[in-house]
Amino acid sequence: MATPRTDPAAWNMNTLLERIPAHVREFECYVPSRPDPVLMRQYGVSRLYRLNNNENALGPPPLAREALAVLKAGRAAQYPSGDSYNLRQVLAARFGKSAERFLVGNGSTEIIGAVIKSFCEPGDAIVTAEQTFAVYEWVARFSGLETRLTPLLDRALDPAAMLAAVDGRTKIVFLCNPNNPTGAWWERETLEAFLAQLPGDVVVVLDEAYREFVDDPRFPDGMEVMERHPNVLVFRTFSKMYGLAGLRVGYLCGAQELVDVARRCHIVYSVNIAGQVAAEAALADDAGHIAATRAMVAQARDFLRGEFDALGLEHIGGAGNFIMVRTPVSDTLMYRRLMRQGVMVRTMTNFRFPNWIRVSLAQGEAMEAFARAFRTSLDRE
Amino acid sequence: MSVNAAQAVFLELPPEASFLSLAVSAAETAGKAWDLGPGRTPRLALAVEEFFEYLRCNTPPGETLRLTLRRRGPALCAEFRFRAKSLDLRAMNFAAGIAPEDGREMGLLLAARFTDRCRLERRGPDGFMLAAEVDRDYPQAEPLRQAPRLQPPYTPLDHPPGDILRHAAMLAAGRYPLRLCPHGFSEPGRLLDMVEAGLYDALVLADAAGRPAGLMLWRAPAERLSVAFSGPYVLDEARDPAIARGLVEGFLARVARTPAVCAVSERPTEDLPEAYFEPLGSVTRTQGGEAVEQRSYFRALREDEGASIWACAELEPFLRQEYERLAFAREILPVEPDGGEAHSLLSTDLDLRRGLAVLRPLLDGRDLAANLARHVEALVREGAPDIFLHLDLGQAWQAAMAPAILAAGFQPRLLLPHGATSDMVVFEHGDAAH
Repeated sequence: MATPRTDPAAWNMNTLLERIPAHVREFECYVPSRPDPVLMRQYGVSRLYRLNNNENALGPPPLAREALAVLKAGRAAQYPSGDSYNLRQVLAARFGKSAERFLVGNGSTEIIGAVIKSFCEPGDAIVTAEQTFAVYEWVARFSGLETRLTPLLDRALDPAAMLAAVDGRTKIVFLCNPNNPTGAWWERETLEAFLAQLPGDVVVVLDEAYREFVDDPRFPDGMEVMERHPNVLVFRTFSKMYGLAGLRVGYLCGAQELVDVARRCHIVYSVNIAGQVAAEAALADDAGHIAATRAMVAQARDFLRGEFDALGLEHIGGAGNFIMVRTPVSDTLMYRRLMRQGVMVRTMTNFRFPNWIRVSLAQGEAMEAFARAFRTSLDRE
Repeated sequence: MSVNAAQAVFLELPPEASFLSLAVSAAETAGKAWDLGPGRTPRLALAVEEFFEYLRCNTPPGETLRLTLRRRGPALCAEFRFRAKSLDLRAMNFAAGIAPEDGREMGLLLAARFTDRCRLERRGPDGFMLAAEVDRDYPQAEPLRQAPRLQPPYTPLDHPPGDILRHAAMLAAGRYPLRLCPHGFSEPGRLLDMVEAGLYDALVLADAAGRPAGLMLWRAPAERLSVAFSGPYVLDEARDPAIARGLVEGFLARVARTPAVCAVSERPTEDLPEAYFEPLGSVTRTQGGEAVEQRSYFRALREDEGASIWACAELEPFLRQEYERLAFAREILPVEPDGGEAHSLLSTDLDLRRGLAVLRPLLDGRDLAANLARHVEALVREGAPDIFLHLDLGQAWQAAMAPAILAAGFQPRLLLPHGATSDMVVFEHGDAAH
């Protein structure tokens, strides 16, 4: 090894790093998964079934595919609509609301950031569940806010615990309905009772990322709920049911006053042309696509439930295109064993479900590949 | 000189003899201000004196010495930061200066005798930190051997009150062998100070009446990707597995969204639910003159995406076997010893209370085999029968040291994924005491 070099810049780096805010210094940097070819090379497989991100295995609806196919490359030189003007018009017509009540972002995660930045300041708190979509907690933490997490009750959000966690410092309550990763959801009565007891000056984010997978009349429609409860902001996405995860389009809808506030901290021009065009088209012919997706998901869920029951393993699969199973080994070990057979799932330790994995529900071939790999992995025990 | 929140004092000192008294005086003042006690403060002052004198004599003009006196829970720590420029680093080896012809002992060896822990760390391309710690004295508490009759349900306490934590520690001390008990179990005041200072995190499960039913401890060593845990300590008579599961699930939930990428056992008890962990193997620890196998467990907290590591041919069979067993995707990049500079440098973490020494390479050198032999000889003589060496496979120059390490009587015992900048091999010296 070479003799160490003198480097005053490096010498001062420690001091510099000590000056960054503690809530940033202590934050875990999210590490996205590597591209498929890299993973396949690392794990020595020639095929990789992606069952980790709850993507729609059927892809986008037909009109969205067509819209993308005819998109001219030359349009890449132009800026997109800075506020997704046309898409908001389509959403407004779809839901019978003013276009000004919609805010479109680069996926729901960007919208979460805009809402937290708009409504919160240091010293404030947010309330959400311990075992739910992680981004609410992450954004709040790296924004220097207190995150109050309440445990689940019977795998579902616990309304009483969440209400008890709210106080004068609470600015936002995040409800994931249906909940990712358990798939449990609140019925209309539960949500109404919760909102009735919550102080009206607390913003409620009702994240309905998986609502299109639910075909049950008891499921509350956030677009309707917000008209009775003006503190409710509804989040939806084109990444799940609409199969546009790669283009990153999500949106919120709420009372005009709240949306105007959220817009102040939202980055304009963040949604690209392809995303806007595809999302507009996706809404135009979604009925058949939604029905086909629901059928695929139901078939896959039945198949995996049978597999897990045969193996004597506990599983949770409510609404949404995913199912969780408790494995007899560490979930991170199971992930590696499955990856060696070309199947990628989501480990649940990070969701505070240690030894559980979440499997996206897809077509038969992928489900059968998972089932084979899963059994082989268990045989090693 | 500046003071930071009453927890640290910083001095920047010219390397001149006339400033020795200032450095020593600062150590004495810190010892008095932070209750190190009249019997322990002179030890810290002696370490500061020894370090300052060595660094002063070897620091070129224009450089300064940075001394930090820091309160770290139950200990006071003296840290000297310096640059390696023009310094004879060979003398910073623990075993340097002990050859009879040198005529004197200095540096880490001498400091190790009158401090509780000392270490040399590399900080950046040419920065080093030489540190010594002296612990405060705490009253001993008798272990409690009579377990209380507990009443479910059990509730997790994230920040257990001091009396509950003290009670849990004393109960654990009465139920588990000494080697599985941190020092703070026999001196609960020490444990409370460590938890308060953030050196340990503690999770207590309390029963319906608020009595401690279980305890789990963990710590996140600085600049490591792993958390090291001790436990689970199950405190009811029947050793209810539900308590152990509750502790482990609670522990995992609390570290799942931290920067840690894995959890590694430090003192795993027999109550550990193995389904949550992966056995790495075992190392030999000395207890009362007897050799005891201590098993080691690991658990990744994130999805592993594969990696490349460096390895010599001599170590490759061991690595391939372990990677296959643990199902880790690793590309092994070959490396060969290149001789490097003339002199190697090793850091030594020495804990004489536990009879434990951990070596880590800081610089490669052609004298490595001889240097390792000198270290083993010195450490055994000082009373550390358990000697380990940690090798970072993310550093090619370290991986290239494997043949010399094997030749010096060390054997690879554990492969620890993400244990360093990449994976780490734990070598155990075979002839030290076993």
